[in-house]
Amino acid sequence: MLIRVLAIMTMLNVSAMTAVWAEQTPAPKNARLYIIWPPDGAVIKGGKLWVRMGLRNAGVAPKGVEMANVGHHHLLLDTDLPPLDEEIPSDRNHLHFGGGQTEARLEDLSPGEHTIQLLLGDDNHVPHDPPIYSDKITITVPPY
Amino acid sequence: MVRQIIASLVAIMIFPLIVTAGDTPAPKSAYLYIGWPNDGEVIRSGHPFRVWFGLRNMGVAPKGVDRHAAGHHHLLIDTPLPPFDEEIPSDRNHIHFGAGQTETMLELPPGEHTLQLLMGDAEHMPHNPPIYSKQITITVK
Repeated sequence: MLIRVLAIMTMLNVSAMTAVWAEQTPAPKNARLYIIWPPDGAVIKGGKLWVRMGLRNAGVAPKGVEMANVGHHHLLLDTDLPPLDEEIPSDRNHLHFGGGQTEARLEDLSPGEHTIQLLLGDDNHVPHDPPIYSDKITITVPPY
Repeated sequence: MVRQIIASLVAIMIFPLIVTAGDTPAPKSAYLYIGWPNDGEVIRSGHPFRVWFGLRNMGVAPKGVDRHAAGHHHLLIDTPLPPFDEEIPSDRNHIHFGAGQTETMLELPPGEHTLQLLMGDAEHMPHNPPIYSKQITITVK
């Protein structure tokens, strides 16, 4: 019982601290980010594809544009979601589309399985509150 | 002197013919298309359907945002392309997506309808060159 109370108190504490720290851009609760194409489980011959990035109930704006209900796409390749209260990393596994692009060209994916997930970032590349991200899908590139 | 005047007059006469698009440059490789529905699609009457705006080699920016190689979508319903050197009209046949939307839900009365996309710049003017999709025809029944 005591442990439970402590656990609850800790949770409350943590959430209170998070609430104080996070100054994230609010997002519409019904915003939905999803991958239009490819479908989960797709087999991509040659390892080259266009990923079509789908967004509902929110809009796309290039990086640096501070407006309500907008953000720009980030494509997470072969990686899990990053911390959702920090700037999204920018590297080979976290591709930024700060120009407001809604499709991503991927090339030279090695044979094997790859995961793709989308995460919307605000004008400062920080996820929204609540964060807007897609399901993670897995695609397979057959041996060349 | 006379030659210069004639040259200026000729330039003034020709200039309006050259202005056939807005001033905002667009990447030559930009490609706008309707991801769904497909050309010829038959849609059940009374059921709203989703239209996907496809755009490659260019970005989306809300209205008023002046960024290189970006613009916002306009969906033309049952209408041909408007003049490229004027602001895109805003009415029931020219739907603006100034908040940076990349898809929409539509419900149309039974019959044949055409759909086409046209990008507009920060001021709702088509780019130079204008970026528009193929016009498709769908049937609602």
